[in-house]
Amino acid sequence: MISDNAKKQIDSWIEKYPEGKQSSAVMEALKIIQKENNNQLTHDSIQAVADYLDMPGIAAAEVATFYENYNHQPVGKHIIRFCHNISCMLNGADDLISHLETKLGVKTGEVTDDGLISVKKVECLGACVGAPMFQIGDQYYENLTIDKIDKIVDGLK
Amino acid sequence: MNEVCFKNIDKDQCWSLTTYEASGGYSVWRKILKGEYTPEQIINELKTSGLRGRGGAGFPTGLKWSFMPRNAEGQKYIVCNSDEGEPGTCKDRDILRFNPHAVIEGMAIGSFVMDATVGYNYIRGEFIEPFDRFEGALKEAYETGLLGKNINGSEVSFDLYAHLGAGAYICGEETALLESIEGKKGQPRFKPPFPANVGLFGKPTTINNTESFASVPDIMAHGGQWFADLGVENSGGTKLFSVSGHVANPANFEVSMGMPFKDLLELAGGMRHGAKLKAVIPGGSSTPVLTAEVAMNMTMDYDGIDKAGSMLGAGSVIVMDDSTCMVEALTRLAHFYYDESCGQCTPCREGTGWLYRVLKRIMDGKGKAEDIDLLMGVQEKIMGNTICALGDAAAMPVESFLRNFRDEFEYYIEHGKSMVKG
Amino acid sequence: MLEIEIDGQLVNAEPGEMVIAVTDREGISVPRFCYHKKLSISASCRMCLVDVEGAPKPQPACSTPVADGMKIHTQNDKAKASQKAVMEFLLINHPLDCPICDQGGECELQDVAVDYGSDVSRFSEGKRIIAPSDIGPLIQTDMTRCIHCTRCVRFGSEIAGIMEMGGTGRGEDLKIEPFLKEGITSELSGNMIDVCPVGALTSKPFRYELRSWQMNSINSIARHDLVGSNLYAQTYKGNVKRLASGDNDAVNETWISDRDRFSYEGLTHDNRLLAPQIKVAGQWKEVEWDVALDFAVKGLKNNILNSRNVQKLGGLASATATTEELHLLQKLLREMGCENLDYRLNIKDLDNAIHLQSNIKLADLEHIDQAIVIGSNIRLEQPMINHRLRKAQLAGAGITTLNVKEFDFNYKTNDIIVAPNEIANTLAGVLRVLVEKSAEEVPAYLLAVTPCAQAIDIASSLLNSDKTVLILGEHVVNNAQAASIANLITEIAKLSNSLTLNLTVTANALGAQRVNFVPNSTGMNVNEMLAAEMRAFVLLDVYPEYDFHHLDEALNTLLNNDVFVISLNGFKNDLVAQYSDVMLPMAAMYETSGTHVNINHEMQSFSAAVGAPGESKPAWKILKVLADLLELPGFHYENSTQVLSEVAHQMTPVHEYDTAINLDKSTVEVETIWTHSPYHTDALLRHATSLRASKIGQINTASINAATAKSLSLSDSDTYLGVPVDITETMADQCVFISSNQATNTGAL
Ligand SMILES: Cc1cc2nc3c(=O)[nH]c(=O)nc-3n(C[C@H](O)[C@H](O)[C@H](O)COP(=O)(O)O)c2cc1C
Ligand code: SF4
Ligand code: SF4
Ligand code: FES
Ligand code: FES
Repeated sequence: MISDNAKKQIDSWIEKYPEGKQSSAVMEALKIIQKENNNQLTHDSIQAVADYLDMPGIAAAEVATFYENYNHQPVGKHIIRFCHNISCMLNGADDLISHLETKLGVKTGEVTDDGLISVKKVECLGACVGAPMFQIGDQYYENLTIDKIDKIVDGLK
Repeated sequence: MNEVCFKNIDKDQCWSLTTYEASGGYSVWRKILKGEYTPEQIINELKTSGLRGRGGAGFPTGLKWSFMPRNAEGQKYIVCNSDEGEPGTCKDRDILRFNPHAVIEGMAIGSFVMDATVGYNYIRGEFIEPFDRFEGALKEAYETGLLGKNINGSEVSFDLYAHLGAGAYICGEETALLESIEGKKGQPRFKPPFPANVGLFGKPTTINNTESFASVPDIMAHGGQWFADLGVENSGGTKLFSVSGHVANPANFEVSMGMPFKDLLELAGGMRHGAKLKAVIPGGSSTPVLTAEVAMNMTMDYDGIDKAGSMLGAGSVIVMDDSTCMVEALTRLAHFYYDESCGQCTPCREGTGWLYRVLKRIMDGKGKAEDIDLLMGVQEKIMGNTICALGDAAAMPVESFLRNFRDEFEYYIEHGKSMVKG
Repeated sequence: MLEIEIDGQLVNAEPGEMVIAVTDREGISVPRFCYHKKLSISASCRMCLVDVEGAPKPQPACSTPVADGMKIHTQNDKAKASQKAVMEFLLINHPLDCPICDQGGECELQDVAVDYGSDVSRFSEGKRIIAPSDIGPLIQTDMTRCIHCTRCVRFGSEIAGIMEMGGTGRGEDLKIEPFLKEGITSELSGNMIDVCPVGALTSKPFRYELRSWQMNSINSIARHDLVGSNLYAQTYKGNVKRLASGDNDAVNETWISDRDRFSYEGLTHDNRLLAPQIKVAGQWKEVEWDVALDFAVKGLKNNILNSRNVQKLGGLASATATTEELHLLQKLLREMGCENLDYRLNIKDLDNAIHLQSNIKLADLEHIDQAIVIGSNIRLEQPMINHRLRKAQLAGAGITTLNVKEFDFNYKTNDIIVAPNEIANTLAGVLRVLVEKSAEEVPAYLLAVTPCAQAIDIASSLLNSDKTVLILGEHVVNNAQAASIANLITEIAKLSNSLTLNLTVTANALGAQRVNFVPNSTGMNVNEMLAAEMRAFVLLDVYPEYDFHHLDEALNTLLNNDVFVISLNGFKNDLVAQYSDVMLPMAAMYETSGTHVNINHEMQSFSAAVGAPGESKPAWKILKVLADLLELPGFHYENSTQVLSEVAHQMTPVHEYDTAINLDKSTVEVETIWTHSPYHTDALLRHATSLRASKIGQINTASINAATAKSLSLSDSDTYLGVPVDITETMADQCVFISSNQATNTGAL
């Protein structure tokens, strides 16, 4: 269930914490497993992480469902996480989200037919002076305009 | 401007160790390693500096550090709060990206003061670029022999690690943050016991905001008085203000405490398209909203904003012009707290959803005349009754929006549409 | 000692105490949901908010430590306003369907709502609904009613020692649920029903039956093990409908095992024996009591008394009987001059029987520093004793186990796996180390013993700890060196200053010992009786295929047409019907008054919670009338209490036993240890449907390691003695460990 490569990554996180506190690495471990499994967590993958870190399955499940960065439903290869909180809203985020939805033919929370992109409305991402903004993967895109969005989205493969 | 956390911001590769050291970085830490400081000296300088916690609550940092039982047996921890998630706030991200070594040195100094030989910087999960910068800086610091065990053959040890979040605003609350580092969901702990006694992994722990830590090296290098003099009484030093919303040039500005709001607005290029200022949230979404009139007469320091009827918070200034529908703005904030409540305590778990749903109903044109009293009643019942301050944070905007802009709410309820947007 | 003021009243408090502990002690009522005195503090429901003078915000009584001079108001406007606010929030998403809720009438939320909840109708935004889920056969969930107090979650991680329930999601979506697909499996799971303040977790076997106020609640004692947990039997129209845990810190604190909680279901099983029956010309006939008893008396007279061969009469009982029942049966037999009586039906060789005293108090178990557990899957076999050990371990005690198999404990143990024929030797090694450390001379039997590394470890752990206990479990009862193992433990205890706990006997075995339900030197024990030519038996609550170790011999003897058998049983049983001549239906657990003697030799008496079904009667009454009909003196009892006071006036007999230690190893190639799986240890349990459907109830495995399996030509798909084989590497060599929910199949052993 957990690849050797994933184990190596998880182990490097475990090292940061005191002995016996390996469950501190659960948040990263879940992310690592999620990345390897189409950006999605399943019951079994959560259990596998729990077993690997020697913690109860339910404790890992609590974490996996508490934090927003884990997905339990199918998502696109790229997830566009669009901030719609106050500063972004004041700067027109809602219109831009509508534009994006029309462009991709999906509503927020849905995946494009080709499985490439899904859009999610999220709370403040801590880049309010660059509003409106969204995140794709590890990358922030700020001061968005319709043109900018089109260019970014068209470049997604 | 830009005298402390941002002092190198215009330099090339401002985040590198070279740049940092060229401007005097790590000189304090090196002195500590040579035994040239005592913890008491550092605490005294911090007390003199008037540095107050930049994470929102404004608690004096020197005093906080003095609470740690530094001589107690066993492991103690120092933790940096880079979870930055309060709407309107985005300063710590820039500190991590542009001045990560200041955070490291600030934490190192704290670790020495409190005999906390292990530290964690909790960085919000979405901050990958800042995380990479911080990790890069950590690597440099380790390679240069500034961190580790018995650094440079001294008695001093400090190991520092970054921990990444995974998307939960509540983890900015310091005890939720500790739970999160322990690999649990981010549910705040009840207090007492306080982290200084029972913190991370059950050990004494001190938590400070990124900006608080990043301010410490310069305070020590130039003296507490120097820092205090940068600001005003009760609000020492400079402060990063994230100015966002309807301004021409939204950005983070490091300015002296006590600057009049109107000057800060000026710095941010004034109102965008010359629009009319309507309202200001001065310290992040959890702080009460102010009307233009009140804001324009306010100074940007703890007492100044307090006098105006709000709070300095994290220094996140959200500026709204007269095109803003206050019902919509509040609904968005209410949704945020509803979304981010950890759910453990009853008033917040049940009350935030209630507030949001009533507001949403008003936005849907189905408001009832009694809704305003209902909203007021519900926020009052949350206020002060919860484990952590998220409950209060959810309540305060409701109270202040309704108090300052009641007519807009009444209009929306009566007409089923926005007074501003139609 | 501090002094604080609560609602204007000065009261004393201990430093470090929480306000709620003080108000509870003083009888001042503060509403609460998340607080539970045996669980960690969560301070999350916010129901207990009170006004503390000087504090800007109301403070939760459950998590506010007292301070000298503190002034607290639990009822003033500020406190009331907060309590009312919290109540209102709790009710907005609660279904308020009390009339159809199983918890109705005993719901903490409902109780508090009556006092605090005004005006709940203001919420008109639609209530939260949680889809139903199945978490197993014992607990019914209705999570729409859940108030997220997390008592069940904390119970799991803190008491059951296995976190099964958790809170997933956040905010309003916070949902209390298990993660395991098989639901909740802990042996203590039913306590979640008791801790849940609302009707979110209720008893599944009980569901929808009744409202609590319709039922009577009677104190009783669970008799499936040596603990004798205190509980309440809740009854309605003559039936036990539900059991709930009682409070007794010296015994079970406030918890009971699932075994104790759900066994009552067996009481109403179709298989109850409901009428007296006599066998006439090979045919069973239901008859009136007087006819049946006459028949029994006649049988005894014809076969025994008239021919004065009372040495051919035997009395056997299972240890599930009450002390009074056992006393009356032994008195009845002895008054006739019969000394053939026994309750140790499961012992292979009574010359090799275990004699080991228990001298540690249950409550003291949690204060020990080091325990050595020998031959026990203590977690499932003795859940409440395990719970105490777990507390000790969490407080820092070391727990070493010496078993043939690695069992799954809910705390940290140091497991030593040894073959059955190595246990005595390992202990001898321990003893040798201890003897050498003491000034004593090494006895002859230890001269050839070289302590192994583990023995040395055990010895030093005993010497280096203050409070130590040696616990002997049921897997050893039929070990070829059982008596020596027990004697070694006694010696080790002496030299290491340890206390001992003997878990090789169960149910009310100590009651049987108390009334001397074993033969003196002139009589025969069970195995001798089975080998002798007998003419009559009186059997009390015996189910041969589960109770006898020597089943073949037992059936041989009992099925003999010349042997007249009187059986007292609560349940029908085919073999009993085959060998008996009279079957007398007796009351089962909770249907009779009586006394259980627990591991601390505490006599815990109980009254009948319900009447016995059909024509069945409490066995003490049956035995009394039988004695009267036999015209035996001294049976003029009007109630079981009189029987008990007779017992109380008798000395506990002291038997001499052989203290020799023999270290000759058994030469059997593959040793088999047969145990009943945990929910299968007595007739009532075997008829408790829901328990049997649970994961633990389903345990039925013969564990063997791969090498041994190979030598026996067994694979995972085979059975061994009729029990499915489980090949596991955490087993000792050359042995099979069986935990079975089937009839004992020891004939082949
Ligand atoms: C809901 C909530 C969110 C918070 N978020 C943050 C945050 O993102 N960053 C931060 O530094 N402090 C945050 N705080 C404040 C911290 O709890 C804590 O007071 C702070 O980190 C202490 O550091 P300081 O004394 O340096 O300000 C938050 C508090 C609450 C109640
Ligand atoms: S106030 Fe809200 S966020 Fe804070 S502990 Fe309570 S439920 Fe959680
Ligand atoms: S199920 Fe019951 S005990 Fe568990 S959290 Fe919900 S209300 Fe509390
Ligand atoms: S509000 Fe969008 S990034 Fe902060
Ligand atoms: S009982 Fe105190 S907060 Fe729940």
